[in-house]
Amino acid sequence: MATTAAPSPVKSPERREHVTREFGWNVLVWNDPITLMSYVVLVFRRLFGYDHETATKLMLQVHNEGRAVVATQPREQAEVTVARLHAFGLQATLARP
Amino acid sequence: MAQVLRRRGRIQVKLDAREREALLSIVDGLAPRLEASLATGPRAYDEPEMQAEYDRWVRPEVDRGREADIAVVRDSLSAGENTLPLTEAQALSWLRAFNHLRIAAGGVLGIEDDGWEEHIDPAAQRRPEYGILLALGYLQEELVAALQS
Repeated sequence: MATTAAPSPVKSPERREHVTREFGWNVLVWNDPITLMSYVVLVFRRLFGYDHETATKLMLQVHNEGRAVVATQPREQAEVTVARLHAFGLQATLARP
Repeated sequence: MAQVLRRRGRIQVKLDAREREALLSIVDGLAPRLEASLATGPRAYDEPEMQAEYDRWVRPEVDRGREADIAVVRDSLSAGENTLPLTEAQALSWLRAFNHLRIAAGGVLGIEDDGWEEHIDPAAQRRPEYGILLALGYLQEELVAALQS
């Protein structure tokens, strides 16, 4: 006798909503041997509104470690920030975190 | 000797005729080199496609801004006054222009590492670009101090 397997219940596919969230891009500033430390501090304060202590800490990180993440922003905004840093003559790049 | 002061919210740069002439000569001499020194730097992205987009849409704006900053310096120096009053925006233009010019001078001298001030060889010290690095660096320090005072 042939047997017929009982149909297994059909599961309705789970609805998974994929939320595309834009994570921020890191704005990095790189060390260069020419640009003055005091100037870099001024640029960080002017562009990001950092206080003197924060701007100095970031400048020293750039100087000692070769680079620092100075801001994390949505891509378009980060690109504008990098362009402004380039306008000040700083070496700046964007990178995904 | 050049001086930068801040009085009643305005920046004043004091330069005699000889100093103004020297600065104009620096600007005229190094400005054409900026294109070459910027061709290899600064990049925005590691990804070539994104960098190409940046070069196409954003970099021209950065280049125009740099040229405008240099024009601000030229105009101020050409006014024929010993005391040059600068707004904050003009002082920032001077700072940006000087930084680009210093980077160009450093490129001519082949400076690639920190600590060059102590280790630069005597032949490089005799080149005009070395004097330019120091002179513009002094003015930048003075302008930064005035802007932060």
